[in-house]
Amino acid sequence: MRVRRTFAKWLVVLGVLHGMVVCAGFFAPYDPVEQDRQSPYLPPMRLHLLDAHGHLHVRPFVYALRLRESSFDQFEEDTTEPHPVKFFLRGARYRLLGFLPLRMHFFGGENTRIYLLGTDAYGRDQFSRLLFGGQVSLFAGLLGAGVTLFIGWSIGAVAGYYGGWRDSLLMRVAELFLALPWLYLLFALRAFLPLAVSPLEAFFLITAVLGAVGWARPARLVRGVVLSAKERDFVRAARGFGASNGYLLRRHILPETSSVLLTQAAILIPQYVLAEMTLSFLGLGVPEPVPSWGNLLSGLQQYSVLVSYWWMYLPALAMVPFFLGYLGLASSFEERGAVYKIESRIWGM
Amino acid sequence: MRFRVSSMKVEASAGSQNMPPLLKVENLVKCYARRSLVGRGEELLALNGVSFTVFPGTTLAVVGESGSGKSTLASCLACLESPTAGNIWFEGKDIVKVEERVRRQLRPQIQLIFQDPASSLNPRWSVLEILLEPLILRRKFTREEMKQCASSLLERVGLSPDFVERPPTELSGGQRQRLAIARALALQPKLLILDEALSALDCSVQAQIANLLRELQSSLGMTYLFITHDLAMAVYLADEIAVMSRGRIVELGSAEQILDQPQHETTRQLLRALPRMTRALPAPEQ
Repeated sequence: MRVRRTFAKWLVVLGVLHGMVVCAGFFAPYDPVEQDRQSPYLPPMRLHLLDAHGHLHVRPFVYALRLRESSFDQFEEDTTEPHPVKFFLRGARYRLLGFLPLRMHFFGGENTRIYLLGTDAYGRDQFSRLLFGGQVSLFAGLLGAGVTLFIGWSIGAVAGYYGGWRDSLLMRVAELFLALPWLYLLFALRAFLPLAVSPLEAFFLITAVLGAVGWARPARLVRGVVLSAKERDFVRAARGFGASNGYLLRRHILPETSSVLLTQAAILIPQYVLAEMTLSFLGLGVPEPVPSWGNLLSGLQQYSVLVSYWWMYLPALAMVPFFLGYLGLASSFEERGAVYKIESRIWGM
Repeated sequence: MRFRVSSMKVEASAGSQNMPPLLKVENLVKCYARRSLVGRGEELLALNGVSFTVFPGTTLAVVGESGSGKSTLASCLACLESPTAGNIWFEGKDIVKVEERVRRQLRPQIQLIFQDPASSLNPRWSVLEILLEPLILRRKFTREEMKQCASSLLERVGLSPDFVERPPTELSGGQRQRLAIARALALQPKLLILDEALSALDCSVQAQIANLLRELQSSLGMTYLFITHDLAMAVYLADEIAVMSRGRIVELGSAEQILDQPQHETTRQLLRALPRMTRALPAPEQ
C-alpha cells in the first residue's frame, strides 16, 4: 500500500512536469527565441503581494527593474508602480502540441515583461527557454530510451530464448558495447559529422546514437528474465499443447519482462536527457537559437557569467525535481517488483 | 458436440490387457553432457536403458527416490526433451523418430501434470484463459464451443464456475491442481503423465485428487503414468509399479507383487520408509 502511494506520488510529480513542458507554449509567457536587447542578464523578478506602502494586493504583482545609479549591471526594483500579473492573456503566437495555433498564455505582464528566472545575454526569457528546452531534451531522452529498450528487448529475448550460438554471439557483442566509453564515442561521432547541421538533424542524430549505444544492459537483463521464464512449468505445459515459439514468447515469456523494462525506462530516460544536455552544453548537440537544457546552461562556461549572474544556475535547479521524479519512479518500480515477488512467494506457495 | 468431455468415448475398461499397448518404451537413454571449462567434461546418464509397456485404461506408477530419473522420463515422454537413444512407441508410432509435423499432432494426446500447480499456471492469467489455452492453440473451436467446453471441464474436475474470472493465485493448492487437470483434459489426451502431481498437496487434498483421478479413469478410460516417490499412493492408484533407481528400472510388477515380495534393495528401502500405524484404531462404537 505504501509502495503504491509513493509510486502514485512520483507519477503525479512527473505528470505535472511533463505536462508543463509539453504545453510549453501556454505556460511560457514569451517566445523562447524572442530577444529583448534592452535588458540582457536581467535578474529574476520577484512576485509580491505587499507593495512598498504596505498595502496588501489580492493579485500578485512585480516591480519593473531599473539600473542602479552609478552601476552598469546592478538592478533594483522601481517601486513607484506595481505591475500586476495577468492570467490567460494574449501574447506571442505559438502552436500547442505542434499544430494548434494559439495566442493564449497562462500568465504575463501588460505594461512590462515578467522574467521569473531572469534573462540571458540576448535578453531572452530564461523561464520560457527552460520550458521549451525541456521539449527538446525530454523528447530526446524518451525517444533514445525507447530505441534502446526496443533494441535491448529484442536482442535479449532472442539470446535468452533461442540460446546456443546466438546467445554467445549476442552477449559477447553486448559486453563489447558495455566496455565502450560511449561519451567519447559520441564526441568522435559528432566530430566526424559536418559542423553545421540543422537543429532537427542534430536532434535525430543524437537520439539515434544514444539509442543505439545503450542497448547492452537492458538486453542482458531481459535475457536473464527470459532464461528463467522459459523453464517455468506453464511454458512447458503450453509447449505440450503444441504452442509455437512465437506464441510462447508473446503470451508467456515477454510479459514477464515488463517490470524490468519499466525500471530500465525510468533509469534510462533521465540518463539520456543528461547525455543530451552534456552534448548540447559542449556545443555538440542541438544548436542555438533552439533552446535545450544543455545549451541553456552553456552560458555558464564563461567565467564572467559564472561569477556575476547567479540566476543562470536556476534552470539547473529547476531540472532537479524532474530527475528526482524518475529516480523515485525507478526505485518504487523496484520495490513493487520485490513486493510482487514476495507476495507471489507467500500466496503462490 | 464432438469436443465435449462428457461425451468422450470410454475406450477401454480398466485393466484390459489384451489390447495393443498404448505406450511402449524401449531401451530409453537420456544423457546430459555437463560441459566444463577444461577437458571434456563429464556425462550424466539420467536414463540408462528404460523399458516398459502401458496398456490403455491402466495406471503405471513409476516410483523412485529423487534424482533417479523419473522427471527426465516424464519430459521425454511428453516430447519436451528428446532422448539420446531408444524408442517411444505411442499407439504404434515412434514419437522419437517420427517427423515434426506428425509429432505435433501426436503431442497433445500425451499431457503432463506438474508437481507445483503454482508454477504450471500462469499467475497473470485468469482461470478461464488458462483453461482455454489448449483449445485456442488448436484453433478449431468457436467461442461458443469453447465456453461450453470450459464449463463441462470445470464440472468434471469439481471446480465451481464462479472462479473463471479470478487469477489462479486466489485458488487453493487442491483447486489449482484440479484446474491443471481440467486444462490437460481439454484436448482429450489418451495418456496423462502425472509428474509428482500430488506431492505438493497436503494429505486430505491428496486423497481428494487421487479419487478424482480414479473417477476420471473409470469414466473416460484414461491411462496414467503416475510418477511419485510415495509408494503408498502408488499402490493406491496403480495397477503396475516400476521402481527406478539411478536411471534404471530395477523392479517392475503388479502392485501386490511389489508390496508382498520386494526383490530389490531400493524397493525395500521405499517400503521401510512408509509410515505405519503402530496401534490399531479403536473399534467404532456400536
